[in-house]
Formats: sequence, structure tokens, C-alpha cells
Amino acid sequence: MDGKTELSSGLVTESNAWTRANGWMSYWKAARSHVAALRGYLAGLAAVALVTPVAFRLHLNTSTAGFLYFLIVVLVSIAWGFWEASVASLIAVNCLNYFFVPPVLTWRVANPQDWVSLAAFEVTALIVSRLHTRAQAQARAEARQRSQVEKLYELSRRILFLDRRQTIGPQIVSLIQEIIGTESAALFDAALAHVDATGSSAGDLGQLARGAYFQDAALVSHGGRASAQVLRLGSRPVGAIALCGPDLDRLTIVAVASLAAIALERARSFEKESRAEAARQTEQLRTAVLDALAHAFKTPLTAILTASSGLLDAGRLSTDDAELAALIDEQATHLNRLTTELLQMARIDAAQVRLRRERLSVLTLIEDVLARYREQLDGRRVSVPDNASRLEVHGDREILTAALGQFIDNASRYSTPGTPISIAAEESLGEVIVAVHNEGPAILPADRERIFERFYRAEASRHRAPGTGLGLSIVKKAAEAHNGRTWVVSEEGAGATFFFALPSGIRR
Amino acid sequence: MTQSQGKVLIVDDESPIRRALRNTLTGMGFTVDDASTGEAALELVRGAPYDAVLLDINMPGIGGIRACREIRKSLPLLGILMLTVRDSEEDKVAALDAGADDYITKPFHIRELAARIRAAVRRSSASRVDPDAVIRIGNIELDPARRLVRKAGEPVHLTPKEFDLVRYLMAHAGLPITHARLLHAVWGPEYGGELEYLRTFVRQLRKKLEDDPAEPAYLLTDSHIGYRFADARPEPVEENA
Repeated sequence: MDGKTELSSGLVTESNAWTRANGWMSYWKAARSHVAALRGYLAGLAAVALVTPVAFRLHLNTSTAGFLYFLIVVLVSIAWGFWEASVASLIAVNCLNYFFVPPVLTWRVANPQDWVSLAAFEVTALIVSRLHTRAQAQARAEARQRSQVEKLYELSRRILFLDRRQTIGPQIVSLIQEIIGTESAALFDAALAHVDATGSSAGDLGQLARGAYFQDAALVSHGGRASAQVLRLGSRPVGAIALCGPDLDRLTIVAVASLAAIALERARSFEKESRAEAARQTEQLRTAVLDALAHAFKTPLTAILTASSGLLDAGRLSTDDAELAALIDEQATHLNRLTTELLQMARIDAAQVRLRRERLSVLTLIEDVLARYREQLDGRRVSVPDNASRLEVHGDREILTAALGQFIDNASRYSTPGTPISIAAEESLGEVIVAVHNEGPAILPADRERIFERFYRAEASRHRAPGTGLGLSIVKKAAEAHNGRTWVVSEEGAGATFFFALPSGIRR
Repeated sequence: MTQSQGKVLIVDDESPIRRALRNTLTGMGFTVDDASTGEAALELVRGAPYDAVLLDINMPGIGGIRACREIRKSLPLLGILMLTVRDSEEDKVAALDAGADDYITKPFHIRELAARIRAAVRRSSASRVDPDAVIRIGNIELDPARRLVRKAGEPVHLTPKEFDLVRYLMAHAGLPITHARLLHAVWGPEYGGELEYLRTFVRQLRKKLEDDPAEPAYLLTDSHIGYRFADARPEPVEENA
């Protein structure tokens, strides 16, 4: 039936190889079916030729001989088919007439009743062989259908056991080739824009699958022997599959296509899951390392600060000694600040994997931050906007408090001492914007972008106040983590206003 | 310096911290003992009367939170201050829920720590005095028996709930009161999560009691934890920034 053995089973990419292979195959098939058909006719003839002399010698009567011939016709029909049986029946009816219907050994028929018998013989033989052939065809169709269902079942079972650690495409195509018995199979994965193909006409099929996906239609090629089907999940196309081989009906192709689509989707969700798991583990590790570091740095700092502040507080030091103790105290405080900000930065980095979002009132955020910086603000006037209680953001409380805190910290340290700080808030064009204004020296245009970079400190501010160069980069990170933005507006004589904007429409 | 400010037990697994605290607190007039584990601390507090315990949250063994719960069970009046290195609200709320009077984040300045210790000690002695005694903090005066609050001598009109809230906070002046505890104490045990409700009340109260409601001097916010009424002394009770 098939010429698989004649074909090289490796990857053939040139398209003329296809034509060559196809030509060879049809020739082979034709030759084989000619011999098979001829064999049936010859067998019928031989059987009649064998039975006739024996029956003639034995002087069998017309009806007995008729039954013998009938038996031959039925056997030929069972073994070969309708046309072979028909030819055998024609030969048989002629032999019956010549050898058994009186007068024997002539073509004449004396009794008109015998004409009826001969006609009845021929008609019955034809009907019986026709019925039998039809039943046989039906049985064959059923068997084929059953085997297809079995193959599809096998395919679906094996698809469940694909190796998840390796790429899924090549596994799917070789499974299809192995189980469905196609000559070639190709799979186009739209997400990767990649084709996996196997079999004799892999290159052609790859193109066919690609074409089916981009035209979003089932395609047929190579005289109906190759078909491509779009893979869908629901109504969404996710790729295409192309199969080439004999006896491929549409239903099989559609069923294989939906199995392949499910396999792709399954692989995709497994991949997503393991990526999420890896990210979660990294985050956990980072948090653990940070906690350990925090502990490791903060413990000696606590001892140093306790000692230095204790010395200063006891008030028994000479002026020089007190100066030295104050230096220790000041620098240890600075080191602590640096550690805290590095930790904050790292926590925001980690939180980008997963923010703990909640609905927050802008007023509450401002109140919390001002409470934290109360001491540092040292009675400085801070104006809080009236409308803040009506504004809400959807974000991570800890991170937003840290960000807004950096603005307040900045404003208190770089502005002219004693000048007021004012906070404003509003909702505009889909963003909630919080602004912190302070009066003090302007920020040079060249610095306005760069001050949000990690460790960058403007030349002028370096001498003004001790800083870490981290504060504003924390704000920037925090804004980015929430898909927001931050910027500064500054003018000589008008101080500086720092802005922090978050999208307001997120999952309200 | 002649009279002891109180007897304090320091519990921390880090010996540099114990050494630094012991020397500075002794210098400030406290009598100091120390322990390196929660288990040892439990032994000590059962054996001798202390005015306050400084308890580190992160310790090997039973840890600070469990030690705090155990101590609180047997000694309801002892002042307990938790030391935490992580500036995390969960830790602080857990500490207060376990019965601590206050918490302080490492590193801290000794003067601030001393102020907190004194507030905790005062609370334990205040619990033994008449609950109807008049409380005066700054220019605010609260008379529990007459349900009256005066600011600089002038009566302030408060609703009954507002009065209960101020009374509870002033009775625990200097100490942080968690949102949940405040809601329980003033509104009843079925309340606990109505944060915005509480915030609205506090805003109203600030308008009535504070000179400048935007910069409260009495009714202080403890970020994400709760509220505390300023201590009788005008010492800053600021948490680390």
C-alpha cells in the first residue's frame, strides 16, 4: 500500500525531492495494484477452468454445476472484489451454457426456461458479490476509523508524558509521525515564531504550517496529500500544524491539531509556573540575605551609638573629648542611614517581583511620613493639602512611605533652614500626583535628571548636607515599581518642587 | 545619681549591646542586670523585682516575642520594652500584641531609650494609683471623674467617644497603643479593623486639642502601628527616621 520503504526517511529540504519521491511512489503503487487486480481475474478464470472439465466428466446436471460456479463467484468476490467476481460470473455463465445446458457443447439453448435460469444465475451472482463487497468496504472503513481513534487516543496519552525539561515542538512532531504514521509533520509555534518539522518533506511542510497560521486558514497542498491546520485555544490562534501522508482525513487532522494546541499550552503554563517559582525563590533568598546583613550591620552600630550617646549624655567629658564623641556619634548615625537606605533600595528591588498593593489614602500616607520625620523636621512648618483625604492610590504602603519620606527628608535637609515645606496633591489625567516643595537653592538643569540616579550627588549639595546619594534613586525605583514617575521642577529663587505620580486607575 | 532610677533587666544575645547598655544605663542611674536568652530572663524576673525589661525580639531559643508573652502572664505590671533591628511593622505589632509596653528600633540614642524606659516604669506604677486621678500633660488636663478636658484652663467640648479615646491614650501617655487595642478599648471588642474610622476621630480630636493640628504635639501618630499621647515631659518620642 505505502511506499515508505522506498523513501529516504531523513530530512529533505529541496522541493524537487518531493516531486521525485512522489513520482516514484505513484508508479510503484500503480504497478502493484495492476498485478493485484489481474491476479483476481486470473484466479476466477483458473477456478472455472478447473471445475468445468471435472463437472463435465461427472455428468453433473445443470443446477449442480450452477451451484459450483456460484460458489466460485462468491469466493472470488470475497477474495478480490466485485469486478473480479463479475468477470468470473460471466465466464461461468458461458461455460454453464456451453457444457451443461442442453443441447450440450453448443451455445444454443433448447428450452426457453434455461434462458431464465442462466439470467437468474448471472443476476444473483452479481447481486451477491456486490453485497459482499459493500459489506467488506464498510468493515474496512470501520476498522480504519477504529485504528484512527486508537491512534488519537495513543497520541493524547503520550502527549501527557512529554519531557517538560526539553523543547516541546520536536517531541510533538516526532510523536505525530510515529503514532499517526504520517510521512512528515511540522509544527509552527507562534509564540516562538519557530518551526519544528520531521520527515521527508519537512521543509515544505514547515512553510505550509507557517502559511496556514499567517493566513489563518486550513491549507491543502501536494495534490491533497499535505494539509495544514491552525492551532487554536478557544478562538486564539497559537500556531499551526502541517501533516503529509496517505489516508489523512480532515477529522484526524483537526483532532491532531487540537491535541497539539493543548500540548503547547500545557508546556507554556508549566514554563510560566517554574519561572514564577524561580523568581519567588530568588526573592526569598534576597530577603533572607538582607535580613542577615541588616542584623550584622545594625548590631555593632547599636553598640557604637549606645556608647557614644551615653558618653555625651553623661556630660563628664572635656570639650575636646565631647567633640570626638560627637564625631563618633554623627558618623555612626550616618553609617546607619546608609545601611537603612541600601536595605530600602534592595527591598524595593525585591518588591518589583511582587508588590503588596492595597488602597491607601494619600492623607494617611502623608501623616505617617510626617510622624516618622517629626524630629528631623524640628518644628518646621509643613502644609498638608486639604484634598488629600479624598485621594487614594493603589500601592505598596511600605515602599510609598519610604519614597515620600525621602522627599520630606530631602526638603528638610537641602532647603534654607526654618523655611516652610509645602505638600500638594491632586488627581490629573489618570494620575495621582504628590508634590513636595521647599524653598532653597535651585537645582541646576544638568542635575535635574541625574539626581535620581543611584549614588549621584549634585556638586552644590555635596557641601551642603551629608547624604548617601541613594535617597532620590529610591523614589525613582518606587515610582517605577508602581508604573509611575518622578521628576523635579526648580528655578533660581523659587526653590525646588519634587513630584511623584502614580497611575490612579489601577484596579479600583 | 544617688537614688536609683529603677531596676532594669537587659536581654539581648549580642554581648556588645549588653555591655554598651549596661554601662550607659548604669551611668544614668539605673540598676542593671543582663541575660543573653529569653529562658534566662524568665528565670531572673521570677526571682527578683524589676521595674523594666529590655527584650530583644530576635534571639535564639524561645525568642523575644514568646519571652514577652510568658513574662506578661506572670507579671502584668512589669514594664516591657522590645528592641527590634528590623524596622518592620509586623514585628512591632506582634510585640505590642504579646504585651510589650513599647518598642524601640536599633540603633537608638540612649536618651530616647531612657525616656521610653521611664514611661514604661511610670505606667506600671500609675496602674496602682486611683483611676479617677486628674491627669495633666502639657497644657491639657483631663478629669476622669467629671469627664472634663481643659486646654490651657479652657474646657474643651468632646463627644463621649472622643473623651474615652483621649482618656485611654492619656492614661497610657508615652506608650504606643495599637489601632486594634484602641478600637477595642473605646468602641468595644467587636471593633478592630475600622482604621479609617479611627483616623477620622483622631483628626477631629487634633482640631480640638492641638495648637496646630497639622503638627500634633500631643496626639502623635506611630506610623502604621497606632497612636501615642505625648509623654508628660516634653522629650521627643520620635522613632528612628
